[in-house]
Amino acid sequence: MKHYDLIVVGAGPAGSGAAIEAGRRGASVLLIDENDRPGGQLSKQIHKFFGSQEHHAGTRGFIIGQALLREAQEAKVEIRLGWRVWGIFPDGSVTAANDTESVRFHGALIVLATGASENALSFPGCTLPGVMTAGAAQTFANVHHVLPGHDFVMVGSGNVGLIVTYQLLQAGANVKAILEAAPKLSGYAVHAGKVRRAGVPIMLQHTVVRAFGHDALEAVEVAQVDDHFQPVSGTGSVIPCDTLCLAVGLTPRIELARAAGCAMVWSGPLGGMIPRHDRHMESGQDRILVAGDLAGIEEASTALDEGRLAGIRAAFRLGLISSAEYEELRTQAQERLDRLRQGPFGEKRRLAKEEVWRA
Amino acid sequence: MERIEQHPILSIETAETIHITVDGRVLEARAGDTIAAALLANGIRTFRHTAKLHEPRGLFCGIGQCTDCIMEVDGRPNVRTCVTRVRDGMIIRTQQGNGGLRHEAL
Amino acid sequence: MSEEHDIVCRCEEVTREEIMEAIRLGDDSLDAIKKRTRAGMGFCQGRTCRRLIVQILSAYHHMPPDHFLPGSIRMPIAPIALRLLASTVDGDTDDPSKT
Repeated sequence: MKHYDLIVVGAGPAGSGAAIEAGRRGASVLLIDENDRPGGQLSKQIHKFFGSQEHHAGTRGFIIGQALLREAQEAKVEIRLGWRVWGIFPDGSVTAANDTESVRFHGALIVLATGASENALSFPGCTLPGVMTAGAAQTFANVHHVLPGHDFVMVGSGNVGLIVTYQLLQAGANVKAILEAAPKLSGYAVHAGKVRRAGVPIMLQHTVVRAFGHDALEAVEVAQVDDHFQPVSGTGSVIPCDTLCLAVGLTPRIELARAAGCAMVWSGPLGGMIPRHDRHMESGQDRILVAGDLAGIEEASTALDEGRLAGIRAAFRLGLISSAEYEELRTQAQERLDRLRQGPFGEKRRLAKEEVWRA
Repeated sequence: MERIEQHPILSIETAETIHITVDGRVLEARAGDTIAAALLANGIRTFRHTAKLHEPRGLFCGIGQCTDCIMEVDGRPNVRTCVTRVRDGMIIRTQQGNGGLRHEAL
Repeated sequence: MSEEHDIVCRCEEVTREEIMEAIRLGDDSLDAIKKRTRAGMGFCQGRTCRRLIVQILSAYHHMPPDHFLPGSIRMPIAPIALRLLASTVDGDTDDPSKT
């Protein structure tokens, strides 16, 4: 069986960060991902990232993805794309399949960086073609360069809803409204400002009630909601559209961590059920480390630094760096993470993370 | 539904035109397209009808997770069109129900 | 569509009303609901509907969502053709281009 010092599952920012840091310090690393391009969801991010220089601020997401790939190649990381990991076993073996074969690898250590999936909503007509996740519309516009519709309605005013709205406008679409069930915006004001200036109304305390269409979406009915998010009767109105995008949050993809036997904890601010982990990104399950959205929904820059932290930890556990070196590198990574977890949004995540470490 | 030919940030390169057959109709696609992208660019949004309720489905997650966009491709059912790329001469059919082989393919 | 319904499990076409009926019949876990309705048993393996079903369970029983999670997860965790599973081989190639 092919043996590696470290197997990293997921080549998004977290997985890439882990693979690069461990690879640089001499570990033999396999980085494996089901997609046929690396970078995870960075490949569809065309906006400039916030933060400081060290976090690639001012650089567009897909460019960061390309840079990470080069760094991984320089660190001699073996990258396998188009392979879906389907199993993980206590002896450190990981099984993965592509269209034609299923293969078993062995890792002394394993970093799980499986990311997250977009949440769905259930309402009459929710399965009609034209109703899709915001990420789907973003992927098709920014990666495949095809707009999946002309007239869009967006559900959710978090950063995903706001950023995707703006990017759909940039691609030439018409976005008729953004619906937000809460009484206030849930994303950054700077993103909301951009879509408002472009003339997209943000309808607070509104949600989608049903979708209409014969063989595909033709219109949606929206209504005002009360404080318990229940539609208020008599407030419904119909908006003709061919695409409804759902930007209603993300859920960590915990399946593989569960299969690996990781204990789970609940954290509302971090997206729900996540594998328990400590400040070293160790899961408590021998040989398994976790990082990125799997370990709590945050941002791509946070995921990258968490991944780096996991990679440094792996290098230490493999005996490739001393405990003094590890402590120094860990402190630097933690300081970068702390800087990312500032402000009203970041603060909440920082406190939630600290609670997970104590669990 | 249309191709994005101009974009303020992305540089759009025009790939070679190839041909695919969708439910007997020959359509243009571009090399490197995913099947779903090629269909959407041709104005096709309904990719299959479900087994139980015979309802239309199309693109949903766009990254190969949800399997809503599956179609019959070159005789193989349950192909995830959002992550499978077109090939010149590919024969694609709107999938009816589970397309037979339940847990094969994918 | 003759009758209005909302689909919760997109793969197996299970409606909210069917989930509610299962809960009223005493199903109080993801696994019990899955067994009765097939919700979560399709190709995506519950990735899309698990959260929605937990919301319904949690609202019905007035319990926090974590009470119903994570539910059981079995390998293979990705839908892989059985013929491939059965023929899993040891990876012994050094060629990363073999993808």
